[in-house]
Amino acid sequence: MNVLTSKDFLAGLVCVLIGSLVLVVASDYSFGTPRRMGPGFFPITLGTLLLLLGAGVVLSSLRTHEKLPPLNLRPWLVIPAAIIAFAWLLPRFGFAPAGLAVVVLAGLADRNANKLALLLLACVLVPAIWGLFALVLGVPIPFLIWS
Amino acid sequence: MDLLESLQLGLATALTMENLLYCLLGVSVGMIVGVLPGIGHLAAVSLLMPLTFHVPATAALVMLAGIYYGAQYGGSIASILLNLPGTASSAVICLDGYPMSQKGRAGAALMITTIASFVGSCFAIIVLILMAPPLAQLALSFHSADYFSMMVLGLVAAGSISQGRPLIGLASVVLGLLIGLVGIDVNSGAMRMTFGIPELFDGVSIIVIAMALFGVSEVISSIGKTGDGANKTRVTFRSLLPTRKEWRESGWPILRGSGVGTAVGILPGTGGGSMASFMAYAVEKRISSKPETFGKGAVAGIAAPEGANNAAAQSSFIPTLTLGIPGDAIMALMLGALMIHGIAPGPRVVTENPELFWGLVVSFLIGNLILLILNIPLIKVWVKILQIPYRLLFPIIILLICAGVYSLDRSVMDVLLVAGFAGIGYLLIKLGFEAAPLLLGFILGPMLEENLRRSMLLSRGDFMVFLERPISAAFLFLAALLLLWVIWGSFKPRRSTTENN
Repeated sequence: MNVLTSKDFLAGLVCVLIGSLVLVVASDYSFGTPRRMGPGFFPITLGTLLLLLGAGVVLSSLRTHEKLPPLNLRPWLVIPAAIIAFAWLLPRFGFAPAGLAVVVLAGLADRNANKLALLLLACVLVPAIWGLFALVLGVPIPFLIWS
Repeated sequence: MDLLESLQLGLATALTMENLLYCLLGVSVGMIVGVLPGIGHLAAVSLLMPLTFHVPATAALVMLAGIYYGAQYGGSIASILLNLPGTASSAVICLDGYPMSQKGRAGAALMITTIASFVGSCFAIIVLILMAPPLAQLALSFHSADYFSMMVLGLVAAGSISQGRPLIGLASVVLGLLIGLVGIDVNSGAMRMTFGIPELFDGVSIIVIAMALFGVSEVISSIGKTGDGANKTRVTFRSLLPTRKEWRESGWPILRGSGVGTAVGILPGTGGGSMASFMAYAVEKRISSKPETFGKGAVAGIAAPEGANNAAAQSSFIPTLTLGIPGDAIMALMLGALMIHGIAPGPRVVTENPELFWGLVVSFLIGNLILLILNIPLIKVWVKILQIPYRLLFPIIILLICAGVYSLDRSVMDVLLVAGFAGIGYLLIKLGFEAAPLLLGFILGPMLEENLRRSMLLSRGDFMVFLERPISAAFLFLAALLLLWVIWGSFKPRRSTTENN
């Protein structure tokens, strides 16, 4: 079996990579002594631990043969994109366009999305949620920014 | 302060208009998310956490806790009617609840689970009332070394008592600890893991992590997988009444389930009541005189687990409130809410914030009473809610997440972090990593480091301090035992499969 589709092998590899990254970044922080630990003591210990755990998972993956389950690819790409669109639109144009964008875009993550229903949903939801945050809870979020 | 006075104070706090309102709001939201498959109580609590910024600490906790135990009530409804667990802890209810529903006893099953939920909760609340003050008193004598070891035990338990892959579970804990490091180190003022991004200097907010992992990642994996309300079960009010035989068969199992659930809920790392309900089911099946009826609609098979998961939901507050050590992810979120309100979790909460502690405890009783009263008359509403299609539900969830995260600090960076953590988190979960231990590591990380540093300073750099103090040594011994057991366990089944090959 190809190791690149083995769930455990990839998981172990991720641990090893993150562990090494942490060790590289944390090598700049002073380690200190056990009595007076520097800011580097804890990250370096954790990075090493993650590296070892990752190595253990990689080793054990040679014996398990579980394949990586298929990804829910469309939602995985669409949902974060919708959130990023919200973050980009909100400070420039206000809550209404940002909220509309996130509801409709996120809704498209479902293959059988009904665009009209999503638009209607957004028209009801966006003012309601803005009202909840801006009017009830008093968070100053502009509904619409002109110009 | 004696017990009666404390309860009086609690009653006075819980019965203020504000707290009653938040209690009602919490349990209703909990009930709804419990009913709906594809959105769990973790997602709901993270979703509503931003709202609690704007209310006092007691009201905030009353509401968040209400969501949690309310969801335990609602979870069994989808299990019984659709054979789809509304929450993870009610998965076991499907085994006998759905067969009962097929036999036309859905109404009786719903009634029995409601009563079991109520009895289980009350049982655990009484244990909480009796146990918490002495436990907090005991914990006052704990040193930083004891705390360190206790957290190590909690983290090892959370990582290893997971779904079969203890090494990855532990790696999830370490990942959480590492994310907890991001920001300024309080002891030295050094920046750690911020990659020069100014928004990260204060660290990552627990709400960002929780929303990304329990809200958005959950949505990503549920889209297209959650059935769109194909439920045609009719529940009439007359069918709600269990027969005399059904009453008789549910009495003792409910009590036994409550006991099992209360005990399991106190233990660290037992995650959201699912362990409790599975154990109660196993116990019931073993001691039953007719074990062959289990899985075919045995009343005991729904009564005991339902009592157990509600009892566990309440008793898990015992270590959280008295020791400041959360047993699972939802308790970690509760601690997060406390810290947001500037209350340091630990044994002092009981004595220094008595109105918070006792108000919360009494609100549990009130909340459970509300749930008992709400559940039965509104049964038709819950059945209707089950018919909301998920494709209309999840855009609402995403919008609420965006608005909620932004409202924290009005920071666009926080919203972007949610998108990033959700994308990465979804991949990690696919690879077998687990969100709950990660969150626990994230919340405990700073406390763990702080206590480690303090004990090493006090012991002048001698690591033996952790073994010389008996309490600390006992916790570390338990953690080591757990690790050994888990490693042994993870090698055993593998050996048998290789033999088969």
